[in-house]
Order: sequence, then structure tokens, then C-alpha cells
Amino acid sequence: MDAQRLKENFARVAEQGDAVALFFYSDLFVGNPQLRDMFPIGMAGQRDKLLRALGLIVSRVDDLPELVPFLQQLGRDHRKFGILAEHYPHVGASLIRTLRYFSGSAWTPELEADWGAAYGLVAQVMQEAADDDSRTSPPWWEARVVAVERRRFDLAVLRVEPDRPLPYLPGQSVAVEVPARLRQWRFYSMANAPRPDNTLDFHVRLVDGGAVSSVMVRTLQPGDRMRLGAPIGTLVLDESSPRDVLLVAGSTGLAPIKAILEQIAQRAARPPAVQLFFGARTRDALYDLEDLRKLAAELPWLTVVPAVSDEAPPRPGFIDVRPSLDGSLARVASANPPPEDSDIEYGALPAVLARRGSWAGHDAYVCGPAAMVANTVDELVRLGVDRARIRQETFVDTQR
Amino acid sequence: MTHRGEPLYPSDVPDGAMPYPPLNESASPRGHLPAGVPPAQEMSVPGPAAPGGFLVARPDRLTPGEVRGTNFARAGRGRRGLDEDEVHAFLDRVEAELVRLGNEKAALAEEVQSLRERLSAGGARGGMPPEEAHFQAVRILSQAQQTADLYVADAERYTRELAHEARLHREAILSDARGRAELMMEEAHQRADRLAEEAARQSALSHPQPAAPVPAQPDGGDRLAAEREIAYLRTYSDVYRTHLRSYLEALLRNVDEWEKSEQNALPARHQPPAR
Repeated sequence: MDAQRLKENFARVAEQGDAVALFFYSDLFVGNPQLRDMFPIGMAGQRDKLLRALGLIVSRVDDLPELVPFLQQLGRDHRKFGILAEHYPHVGASLIRTLRYFSGSAWTPELEADWGAAYGLVAQVMQEAADDDSRTSPPWWEARVVAVERRRFDLAVLRVEPDRPLPYLPGQSVAVEVPARLRQWRFYSMANAPRPDNTLDFHVRLVDGGAVSSVMVRTLQPGDRMRLGAPIGTLVLDESSPRDVLLVAGSTGLAPIKAILEQIAQRAARPPAVQLFFGARTRDALYDLEDLRKLAAELPWLTVVPAVSDEAPPRPGFIDVRPSLDGSLARVASANPPPEDSDIEYGALPAVLARRGSWAGHDAYVCGPAAMVANTVDELVRLGVDRARIRQETFVDTQR
Repeated sequence: MTHRGEPLYPSDVPDGAMPYPPLNESASPRGHLPAGVPPAQEMSVPGPAAPGGFLVARPDRLTPGEVRGTNFARAGRGRRGLDEDEVHAFLDRVEAELVRLGNEKAALAEEVQSLRERLSAGGARGGMPPEEAHFQAVRILSQAQQTADLYVADAERYTRELAHEARLHREAILSDARGRAELMMEEAHQRADRLAEEAARQSALSHPQPAAPVPAQPDGGDRLAAEREIAYLRTYSDVYRTHLRSYLEALLRNVDEWEKSEQNALPARHQPPAR
């Protein structure tokens, strides 16, 4: 197999962009109509994913130590879509036809043989990983919603119960599929450390125009079913580290952070000092603050710092009117600021972090919207945190 | 029986290769038909070059049975052998038959060739070769997919814009409510203040200060202040409550209406399919 030849050929084909993936899927479905049902109606996102994955695979086709773990993960991930061994040859045939079609006169028998060999390798690694995985876990977990708390019109906390234990590390996430939006999987982090009753919490924020998040926030009810994929993610606690811990969460980025916090609380060893910064644009978006304050009151080693970026501190004499949970408006106590909110910091998270001290020597875990995570990490590095001691995750594209 | 002179038809028909009409054997597509299915019409009609074809017995055609069954009369007296005229007449018929067969075979070969060409060019009805048909199907499916993608993207954009507007609307309502609440509170404060002053004045008039303080009684100034405070708070809360209630009720109706219209706009809730 001539890796360079493959790369050059793929680079040439990939210049046609979306048309390549469009042809590939159409070719696959014309020949195998039964496969169409495994995909969503709208395929634009799917095509992007295909091209990205292909590009990545081809770029590392001569670097197996890099490529193999990626392919193994890909193989395991595909189990939840219902992909079986018998589907791989169809995909390979369509892929070759697509490449031939877009290569035009540059296509040669040698190229065809190379691509065939490369695809054979990819399919084999993916299938073996899927097979290995099938010995220990199901392709997906069926789960039932047991509780829904709508904390704001666009924020909900869901509790679900999988039909069998779903082992995961706090901080990891799973892909979720709801029946009202079949074939559309979205990643959500578990917001709790594993419990004896196996239940999982998800913090869901409605993304404007998001097909899945709107269903999750607005229409899911106890008793509704969903499917969960296998847990993934690297935002997990470094249990070997004796350092103090800084947890930084923006909006529903709190979910994995809270799971990690619960894990720290459960550890037998006396937990190090932990500071949790929970930021949102407005006060009413700090949807889980009550619970965090309760934890902070119980755990002497924990400090919780809420931060609001887009609101000014309440003025004296101010009476706040807030929507209550049932949707009606309610007047909030006229004392000012409300005594329970005296712990709130005003400003964006990086600024608040800078104000609250030096963080050198801490392990930091950061999760939230992309911009918030990037700015926070930069600021922490500036404040003396070792970049290698920062673990981060963003949720932007994944939660629509 | 022997040939006379040159072959009577084009040389591509080898001698002896004229199997009389086993057309319905082996190579015939009829071999693929399930038993009991009658041969398709066109199979029994070779074409205009051979009207009637082989399968229809016609009186002027020579058949193998006829050849075998032919008996020539003995030649007349004084001559040996068979009747020459009869033999010549028969040979004429054989010649005519062979010419006819040769022509029919050539016509059929031509027909087969032209059918083969039409087939490889994509079927008899102006179709296309399989490869081209596949690409055509791929193109059609691609177009359908792109249309679907467009609709999905449009729907998503529309939802996004709608949700964004609703969010802005909500923020405007809340901020307006906060502003009004502040105004209300300010007004309540001022009115309560005035009434409290009034109450204190009334109280001072009806309970003139005693000449000497009575130890058991609260201090007159304190009492006055307390009464003023009570009057203030009572009035303040009355005014505030009234204002706030009417305003919030109006606002609540507004929000209810908004929510209802939003819910109506949402698609009907699906029951999750059993799986």
C-alpha cells in the first residue's frame, strides 16, 4: 500500500468537498436501501462528519499507533447506530466507487488496490474493537426518565434510569437519542458520580433552533424512554494528584464538574481544598446554585463561588421580580441585595477567578461554552496554573 | 442426392450445419421460462424476412419428413434408375428450400446482432447501460437529499430565530416589570411616608405629651415613632400590594397567552414508539 499515493488521491478528491460525501451516501443507499433508516433525515451534519473522519484516517494511514486507537473508538461508537459486520463491505464498495468517480482519469488499478487494502484494514480494526466491546457492554442502553425538573424555561435537570448498570467515570458523557428525534444523537455529561441505584442526571439547556435539546427541555416527562451510548470523555479526576482542586463551570458545563465534585466527596482520603466557580450570564441561569450551596455548607473543604457576567449587582431599594418555577412572576424579598445572594460575584469567570486569588499549584477542571473555556484556560495559565494541570471540555456543537 | 455446381447461398452457412428447426432448444430464451409459461409471441416470429417462420407448416415448404418419405418412380422402359424429371423437380425444391433457409438465417443473425446492440446500449426501450443507470439513480437520490437538507436547515433556522425572538421578548418583559416595580415601590414609599406623617400628627394631637414621664408607659417619642412606622408600613404594603397585584396579573395573562401560543405552535407530542 502506497500511503503517499492514497493521500494525494484523497486530497484531490476532497477538493470537491460536500459533493463527495453526498455521492457516497447516495451510492450506498441506492445499493442498500435498508441502510437509509440508520441515518437522520437531514444529512448535512453527517456528511461533514464523514469527510472529517476520512480526512483524519487518510492523514494518519501510515501512522498506525495514532490511527488504531481512533479507529477502535470509531468502531465502538458505531455500535449504537446498529452497524453490523455485514454492513462494512457495502460501505467499502461505495467508498471505492465514490473515489473512482471523483478521481476521473487519475484512477488506476493500483489506486483501487491500495484503497481496497486501506479500507480492509480500517474495517477490520473497527470491527475487532466493536466485537471486543460487545463482550462487555451492550451496543446501547435503554433508559427511562424518572424525574424532570425544569429549573428555568430553557434549563432542565433530568434523572434517568438505565435498564442495566452503565459504568462510567465522573466527568464522562454519553450520546443520547430520544424517540421524538430518532437517529439524532447528542452528547450529555452525567452530572453525578455513579450511584447504587444506577440513575444518571443530565443538565440540559435549550439551544435556540436545536432539534434535540428543545425536546429534552420542553417535552420529556417521567416514563419517557431514551437510548444512551457508551460513556466517553477525558475530563475526569486525576485521582493520583494530591493538589488542591479548582473547578470552573459555565452554564450546563456544570454537569461533569458536579460529577467530579461528588467523586471527590466520596473519596476515602481526606479531600484537598476544592473551590468551585459556577458562572452564568444572569442570576436566574445559576440553575443549580441552591444545591451547590447546600453541599458547600456540608463540606468544610468546599467553597462555592457563583458568578454572574451580564447583570449588575442589585441596587439598594431594588425589588426583584423573577419568574417562579410554575411560570408565574413572583416578587423577591425586598431586602437588598437578597442576603442569600451576597456570595455572588459579578463579572465574567476569568475576571472573577483573577479577583479571587492565585491558582498556582492547583489542578483545574474547566467545562462550559467554547469561548468561556478558552478564556478561562488562558487566564488560569496567566495566573500561574500549569497548562498540563488543566483538563477541559466544551459543549458547543454537541448539544443542539 | 448431390449438389449441382456452386453453393446456392452465402458461404457463411457451413455444409451440414443446417439443423432443421430445433430452434426451441438450448440457446432459446424460452429455456429460462418456468414450465407452463407459453413462449412469448416474438420468439416464434423471426421477423418479416421469414414470414410465418419455421413453426408454422406451410404447403410450399419442404420438411425433413417429406425428404425422407420421397419415393421416386422408376425410370421408364429402356432406362435405368429413377425418373430423371422427378429427381430434377425434387432437387429444384431442395435448392429453393436451402436458399430460403440461408436467407432466413442471415436475416436472423442480423436481427440477433441488432438486438444485442440495443441491449448493450441500455435496453430495448431507449434506456441506458446499468452503470449509467446507477449514476442516474445516485444523482436523483442526491438531489432529493439536498432538498431534504434544505428543508431541515430552513426549519432549524426558523426555530432558532423564533426562539431567539421569544428570548428577547422574555427579557424585555422582565426588565419592564423590574422597572415598573421600582416605580411602584417608590410611589408607595412616598405615599406611605405622607400618611405616616399624618398619622403621627393625629396621634400627637390626640395623645398630648404628659407633663412627667410615666415609667410604666413607653416613652412618648418612641410610641410616636412606632405609630408612624406602623402607619407607614401598613400604607406602604397596601399600596404596593394593590399596584403589584394588578400589574402582575396583567403581566401573567400576557405570559400565559404567549406560552399558549408557543405551545400551539409546537408539533404534537409524539408517543415514543415501542422498541
